[in-house]
Amino acid sequence: MKKTPDDRITLDNVSRFYGEVLGVNRVTLSLEPGITSLVGPNGAGKTTLMNLITGLVHPSRGNISVLGIKPSQPHRLFGTVGYATQFDAFPKGLSGFQFIYSYLKFSGMASAKCKRLACSVIEQVGLEDAAHRKVAGYSKGMRQRIRLAQALAHDPRVLVLDEPLNGLDPLVRAETIALFRRYADEGRHVIVSSHVLHEVDMISDQVVLMSGGYVVAEGQIQNVRSEIKQERPMQVLIRCNQPGLLASKAFEQDHVVEAQLLPEGGAVLIKTRDADRFYRSLNHLALVKGMQIDGVAPADDNVNSVYEYLIGGEEVSR
Amino acid sequence: MTGLWLTQILAVMRLEMKKTFFAKRGVWVYLLAFAPVVLYLVHSINNPLERQRLEKIATDHRVSTQALNSIKEGATPDEVIEQLGEPYKKHIDSHRRGDRDYEYGSLRYTDGEVDVTMRLYDGRVVRIHRRRLDNLQRSQTMFATSFQFYFLRLAIFFGCVGVFVNLFRGEMLDKSLHFYLLTPMRREVLLTGKYFAGLLATVVIFTSSTALQWFAMLWQFDRSVIADFLASTGGAQIWAYLGVTALACVGYGSIFLVIGLLFKNPIVPAAIILLWESINPFLPAALKKISMIFYLQSLSPVNAARDGNMPPLFSLLISPTDPATPAYAITGILLLTLGILVIASFLARRLEINYSTD
Repeated sequence: MKKTPDDRITLDNVSRFYGEVLGVNRVTLSLEPGITSLVGPNGAGKTTLMNLITGLVHPSRGNISVLGIKPSQPHRLFGTVGYATQFDAFPKGLSGFQFIYSYLKFSGMASAKCKRLACSVIEQVGLEDAAHRKVAGYSKGMRQRIRLAQALAHDPRVLVLDEPLNGLDPLVRAETIALFRRYADEGRHVIVSSHVLHEVDMISDQVVLMSGGYVVAEGQIQNVRSEIKQERPMQVLIRCNQPGLLASKAFEQDHVVEAQLLPEGGAVLIKTRDADRFYRSLNHLALVKGMQIDGVAPADDNVNSVYEYLIGGEEVSR
Repeated sequence: MTGLWLTQILAVMRLEMKKTFFAKRGVWVYLLAFAPVVLYLVHSINNPLERQRLEKIATDHRVSTQALNSIKEGATPDEVIEQLGEPYKKHIDSHRRGDRDYEYGSLRYTDGEVDVTMRLYDGRVVRIHRRRLDNLQRSQTMFATSFQFYFLRLAIFFGCVGVFVNLFRGEMLDKSLHFYLLTPMRREVLLTGKYFAGLLATVVIFTSSTALQWFAMLWQFDRSVIADFLASTGGAQIWAYLGVTALACVGYGSIFLVIGLLFKNPIVPAAIILLWESINPFLPAALKKISMIFYLQSLSPVNAARDGNMPPLFSLLISPTDPATPAYAITGILLLTLGILVIASFLARRLEINYSTD
C-alpha cells in the first residue's frame, strides 16, 4: 500500500502537563501503519500519549494529526479511530450487546446495521454467550474483551489499545494478537501499550520506548538496537562443536569486545560492535576451520534487552 | 448532517433518560418535587373536617362575625365574655414575676368560618389570631406563595442542581464519561443531547408535580365550584403555572449544566446563584433582569402574598420594578438560556478525561 502523509499519525513537539506534573514532554513521532507498541514503566506517559492521540486530553503544546485529522474533531476522528481504554467503567445498566449497539448508533447507522455489526464484533471477541448479560456482571477478561469489541465495532483504520491483552486467557490472547496482525497487514494502524515485553517483541512492527514522559527511542526494534551498539555491543549466541576455537578466533577481531564460553558447553556468547562483520567472519571460520555451526541467534536484539539498556531496571513485566 | 445530529441527540437522550429518571442518587429530587402534593393532599383532607368542627362549635357557642370583629386588642377578658358570651375554649393561668402574679391565657371563638384565638396577658387581650378556613380565593394565593417561594426557588432550583450537574460531573465521578467522548459526535451535539435528556426529566417530574398540586388543592371543593373555576380563570392559571414550571427547568437547567462542566464541587456556585436569586427583590431593575426568578415571577399568574414577618427595614429595601410582559419574560429566559448553552458548548469542546483528579 502506498504511504502518504495522511497514512501517518504524527505528533509534533507535543507536551502535556497536569499542573506541575509532567504527562509527556516534547514528543515528536511519525507513526506508519502497522503494529506500534508503546513500552515503558508505569507513569512513563503511554496512556497520556494515547489519550492525546484520541483527543481525550488536549496537548499543552504541539500538534497532533491522525491520518490528517485533528483530535479536536471527534466527529471526524472517531469514524477512523477505535480506542479501547483502560478505564473500567461503563454506562450503567447496559448489556454487552446494548453497549456496542449504543456506541454504533452514534455513527448514525441504521438500527439493523448496528445490530448486525454489534453481533459480529461480539462474536469476534468471543462474547456471544454473554452478550445479553449486564456488563457490570462481567469478569475482568470479559470487560477487556467488550472494550476491545467497542474499539473494533466500526471497523476503524486506526486502533488504539491501552494494555489490550491484560486479563485475557492464553487462547483469547493468541486470537487477539492474530487479529492485530491481520489489521496491520491490511495497512491499518494498531497502537498498543503493553508491559509484557515478550508479547511486544512478538507482535510489534515498531516500538516507542517511553520513560518519565519522554520518548527514549522509537522505530523498528532492530534499528533501535543497532543505534546503541557502541554503548551496548550486540550479543550473539553461537552453538557449535568447537566453542573454544571460535572464542579465540573471534577475539582476534577488533570489533569483538567479549567472547564468553557458556557453562553448559557447546555455546559461546560474543559481544560485538559490528554484527554484520562478525557474521561474515563466522562464515569464513566455518569454511576454513571446518567448524560445525549448530545455531546462531542474536541474544539481545529484542525489546526486553533494548528496554533494559535504555530505561534500566524500572518496573516492567517480562 | 442535521439528520445525523438528530439521531445522535436521540441516542444520547435514550441512554441518559434511565439515569435521570431512575438514579438512586436522584430520589431526593422526587421528594423535593412531590412534597407539596402531599401537603396539599393532607390540607384538602383536613380542611373539610375542620370546617365541620367549627360549624358544630358555632352551633353550640353562637357568635356573629360582626361581634367577633368588634373585639380589639386591649379589651379585658370580662369585656370580651360580656360581649361574645362564653368562649368554646378558655385557658387562663398565672405566673409570678418579681412580687406580682401575671395572668395569661387565651379565649377561642368561632363563627363557623373563622377560628379566632385571643391571647391574654396581664388581664388584657394582647393579640388576636384569625385563622380562616380555605376558600378558592385563599387557595389560589396560597398556591402562588408556595409556588414562588418554595417550588421555584427551592424545589425546581435544587432539582435542576441534582439532575443537570450530574449530566457531566456525575459521569466524571463514575469514570464513564469517556464512552461518549469516544463516539464520532460533536461535543456540542453531546451537550445538546444531555441537556434535552435532563430537561425532559425535570419537565416531566416538576410539571407533573404542579398538576398534582392543583389536583390535591382543588380536591376539597365541590365539583361544581371546581368546574366554574376551571371554566373561568382556573384553566388558564394552571396552564400558566405549568408553563412557568417548564421554563424554570429550561433556565435553571442550562445554568447547572454549565456549573457541572466548570466546577468539581457544585455546592458553592449553586449557593451563590441561590443567594443571587433570593436577593432579586432588593436589586436595582437592571440587575433584576440578569436572573431567572425575575422572569419566572413575572409570568406567574397570581401574585404571592407578601411575607408578613419581613422586618420593615427589609420592606423598604425592596426595589419596586414592574414585572416583565409575558413575551418579554419568555424571550428573556430563552435568550439567557441560549447564551448559557453557547458558553457550555465552548466548555464541552475543551472537556478532557482526567478521572484521577476528579
